[in-house]
Amino acid sequence: MTLEHCLILSAVLFCIGLFGVLTRRNAIVVLFSIEIMLNAANLNFIAFWRYSENPTLLHGPLFALFAIAVAAAEVAVGLALVIAVYRHFKTVDLEKLDTLKEE
Amino acid sequence: MSLQITFWILATVAVSGALLAVRLRNLIHGVFSLMIFFGALAGMFLLLMAEFIAAVQILVYIGAVGILLLFAIMLTERVAEDGGRRISSRGSFWGMAAAIAVFVALLLPAIRQTDLPKTAQTVQPSVEKLGQQLMDPYVVTLEVMALLLTAALIGAVAVSQGGKPKNEDEPK
Amino acid sequence: MSFELIKDILLATVPLLVIFPSLFAFTTWMERKALARIQNRIGPNKTGIPCTRIGLFGLGQPAADGIKMIFKEDIVPRGADRLFHLLAPILALIPAMLILCFLPLEFPWTKSMQPIHAFLLDSAVIFFFAISGLATLAIFMAGWASRNKYSLLGGMRAVAQMVSYEIPLVLSAVVVVMGAGSLSAEKIVQEQNFLWFVFTPWGFAAFVIFFIAALAETNRSPFDLPEAESELVAGYFTEYSGFKFALFFLGEYIAMFAISGLAVVLFLGGGNGPGAGLHPLLDPWVPVVWFIAKIFGLIALMIWLRGTLPRLRVDQLMAFAWKFLMPLSILNILITGAALHLLADGRLEALTRRPNHLYKMIEGANPAMIGVLWIGSFLILYAAACGLDNLNRPGAKPRNYKYAE
Repeated sequence: MTLEHCLILSAVLFCIGLFGVLTRRNAIVVLFSIEIMLNAANLNFIAFWRYSENPTLLHGPLFALFAIAVAAAEVAVGLALVIAVYRHFKTVDLEKLDTLKEE
Repeated sequence: MSLQITFWILATVAVSGALLAVRLRNLIHGVFSLMIFFGALAGMFLLLMAEFIAAVQILVYIGAVGILLLFAIMLTERVAEDGGRRISSRGSFWGMAAAIAVFVALLLPAIRQTDLPKTAQTVQPSVEKLGQQLMDPYVVTLEVMALLLTAALIGAVAVSQGGKPKNEDEPK
Repeated sequence: MSFELIKDILLATVPLLVIFPSLFAFTTWMERKALARIQNRIGPNKTGIPCTRIGLFGLGQPAADGIKMIFKEDIVPRGADRLFHLLAPILALIPAMLILCFLPLEFPWTKSMQPIHAFLLDSAVIFFFAISGLATLAIFMAGWASRNKYSLLGGMRAVAQMVSYEIPLVLSAVVVVMGAGSLSAEKIVQEQNFLWFVFTPWGFAAFVIFFIAALAETNRSPFDLPEAESELVAGYFTEYSGFKFALFFLGEYIAMFAISGLAVVLFLGGGNGPGAGLHPLLDPWVPVVWFIAKIFGLIALMIWLRGTLPRLRVDQLMAFAWKFLMPLSILNILITGAALHLLADGRLEALTRRPNHLYKMIEGANPAMIGVLWIGSFLILYAAACGLDNLNRPGAKPRNYKYAE
């Protein structure tokens, strides 16, 4: 289990999240995929910290902690927005939310 | 040796959980496989000797974000009826091509060509040191994080409550 | 995977798997008898030795219940999600059993080997709360998978209740962590070998808040609206019959044991008690016996509250959590911080490199200061509680009841 294995795993997870964001039409699934990407980045932080020269500085877990807090805040606000959009447009399909488009 | 096996098992569970979460049509099943993904990632954090982060991952992601996603799905979607053929994703071929291109052309060379450290020092997990680091060098970040979370809380409540109540007996 | 490792794992976890379900069986019998006596009836007294007339005070009742539930037909509603319908009871049981592994319950045979008892973690207290959050998920799954309006409603109410009461639960545990200076369960128990946390004023307030929140977390009366029989036809487990219902029941009781175990570790000094120096053969068993005795004390308190208090309505429940318990627990943290600061003579370093700060409460201080500390903390907390009460329900007066003549 070397650093390279962890990094490749986190890259694969990031790309899966990217695939989800680019492909799905439902706004909530896009939020899931963003969470997957953020988690992959956290894995990266912790892996790099573990193999660094001075792990007693604890920079990895600290950064991951802040990233988790920010991701949680973002999901909360994002879902509130999605619910507000649903109330107005009665759909969360991203292809149908095109009122800002020029005719 | 057992470390290797655990790593591969957790990696497989994480990748399949993420794939299922992104591809399933039934959203509730998707959220549950997302939670399996979060759990596998918490296991990876434990393997990398970051205990506190593993606990926080389970507490925040599975316990809070997952439940939030479930509630949001229930409020915005009539999942139980599967009448009609709805397209849940368009252009999945090009999306997959883009994701694979990012992986193969961007990330894999970056990993392969960097000079990565080979050995890991022994780490004594200690939450007390984490607390001291939070208070001493990183106190400003902590306060900004607290401000951000408060703003998110107030914002989410404000957004989900809607605008002014409509006045129904207005003369037209 | 060497044989030694497997043997160690089995030796550490199998006793838990054997002891706690048998305690569960005993607790169900005790609950039915105790509730019956509170309600002025007798309770089960005929199921004793089978095929005879000897009813040993109904001690065979748990076995009879178990046999009945195993033989019941397993009904799954048509159109329900079969996978989730099956997984939900299993997922309700696993976190409860997992938390039991974190409790610092050292059995004597493990002391002779290298010290291994199920999980030796540095941040055990956070893992407790993290894993008990998984039970919420199982209840949601159960409510959703049954394809039944009442189940869904019960499930959502249960999830809302459990999520709301997690906050006072965790905030009142923060008080203990501040006092002990560590998140590891063993260190917290060690710090209490002189004075239990429940005997300090802020610890007492935190214990009360923790206990009320623990009642709500495990869906016990008076917070058992999600599974109330008269309201929602058994709520989220309406569509479960037979063995799955037994698994849910088992999961709920083991969660009760686990949270009582956590309360004992955090506040009641888990395992510390008199009688440590009696006999070298009995010595290793004394902490275990005290731990289980204290857990039973708390369970008896839960049963007593179930038989005595009426059920809260769902909006009263949520208002109680958010508008009353949460501000009080935050205030409690502030008071704890101020008091610890004062006890350490105003120097922060004294708190981190200290002998047990609770010594200072007893040995270095005079009774006047202790009295002032207790009375002052209680006055502040009581004033806060009254103020919050007036804020939430302005102008509420005690009711005068009119009884029939």
